Amino acid sequence: MSAHVRRALEEITRIRGVRGAVLADRTEGIVVAESAMLGVRREAIAALGASLVRRCGVLLEGGGLGVPRHVLLQGREGTLVAVPVTDELLLLAVGDAAVNVGLVRAELQRVARELR
Amino acid sequence: MTERRPRAPWDPHSLDAAERLRRQGDLEAAARVAIDRLEHAPGDAAAHDLYARVLADMGNLPGAESEWQEVLGQLPRHAGAHKGLGFIRFREGRLDDALDHLEIALASAPGDPAVVQAMRTVRAALQREASPPRDRVFEGLEGAGRGLLLVDARGGVLGGAVRDADGFDRSELVGGYAADLVHEARRTTAMLHLGSWEWVVVEGSEGSTYLAAPTDEAVLCILRDRGVPAARLTLLAEPALAAAREWLHEQTL
Amino acid sequence: MRNTRAVEAWTIGPLEHFVGQAGARLVLIMTPAGQVMAQYGFARAVDVMTAAALGAGIVASSSEIASMLGQPPFAALGHRGTHHGIVLSSFDSPRGRLLVLVVYGVETSLGLVQLFLGTLVDDLAAACPVPESRGPVLAVNFENELNRSLDALFGQ
Repeated sequence: MSAHVRRALEEITRIRGVRGAVLADRTEGIVVAESAMLGVRREAIAALGASLVRRCGVLLEGGGLGVPRHVLLQGREGTLVAVPVTDELLLLAVGDAAVNVGLVRAELQRVARELR
Repeated sequence: MTERRPRAPWDPHSLDAAERLRRQGDLEAAARVAIDRLEHAPGDAAAHDLYARVLADMGNLPGAESEWQEVLGQLPRHAGAHKGLGFIRFREGRLDDALDHLEIALASAPGDPAVVQAMRTVRAALQREASPPRDRVFEGLEGAGRGLLLVDARGGVLGGAVRDADGFDRSELVGGYAADLVHEARRTTAMLHLGSWEWVVVEGSEGSTYLAAPTDEAVLCILRDRGVPAARLTLLAEPALAAAREWLHEQTL
Repeated sequence: MRNTRAVEAWTIGPLEHFVGQAGARLVLIMTPAGQVMAQYGFARAVDVMTAAALGAGIVASSSEIASMLGQPPFAALGHRGTHHGIVLSSFDSPRGRLLVLVVYGVETSLGLVQLFLGTLVDDLAAACPVPESRGPVLAVNFENELNRSLDALFGQ
């Protein structure tokens, strides 16, 4: 599985503007697999991304809107896209501010379906 | 032939006694004294004033107003009459008129604690009336009243409302979670070097939410069911953000 | 932050920042001998002493295993339970080798604790004053120092 997962993550990082992709443990917020450029903080992506998605889940539940399917976080200089794979796993991608989020989301969701 | 007995002379203290009866709750007895006096001295302003207070206690506000107007016909700046009419106007919701009467009452009877307290009450009611109710923040916008919420940085609801499919108000709950999520979003963008946080969209299995900050101290939260695509929320956000900024600006004026 | 107590005051700032960011429930900063420098979240002295002794013991034991394997001591150890997790981390500081014991709950994660432990180490190094030269440790000094530490850790 490791090689397959790594290849899948590398395909995501080939999208223009994507700096890194991480498969994370949703509960522990730690890296399971990753493909990222030098200088990208993989552990921070996993920890903070998992925490963010958990809070998104709490908000959705409070609003009666179910469970998260994807999360898009926009910063002035970059973007984080998150797609839950299972209750235990989470796919995350970090990119530039102008990255094609639709394409990134679609690729993350495709990889997520393969991993399930 | 029936001999008419001479009437006993009027005791000037009987109105005081009647006032005591009124305060003790014996309104009928107090009213009889006032009526008796007015039958023989229709112009007695003090008796009209007492009778007005008795009628007000009985709940007969139109009658009380009529009596106080009689008083003002003779004594235009009578403190008691203006105080009474101020009370009636307050009950009618005519707060500005209530304040006008109370100001005259205070000028005629400076330091009257009852008038001072009444003015405080009316001014507080005027202030509440001036504050726009929660729903006015997003009035006229799609989702107003059920899917547009404005909270402060600590999750306190400022305006708008979120209701679930059954109509229950979930504003307080959602507001708290939204503020917490925004705090985490800000931390995440800072630590991952994504720049300052701008917005977050979450698509769920049953609906979506969009969060952004109209100002540094407030959070806008838009919620929609799955009938509305998540991407559309960013379009709905612009007018909502503008409305929120305008409303927040008005609060500081 | 009311629940933070320290024998060495310079540890308070870094410790409070760590707790605020990582969301830890209990934290001990101590020497490998189990001498506590600062604590967060503990309510009783006996719990502090017990946790410090056990934590130091775990690190010492695992260091022996690492030595048998011919490698440096483990930088961090983690255990995950149903309701809590613990992390024991050892690091070098201007004050020598130090240990951090962290207990966390479901409201945070191992990843966040580890992420901010790195910041804690850096902050402690930056805040640490120049160490004073110390005389030999006598038994009476040790007991006095222990009592002083406990008083400081529990604000008495």
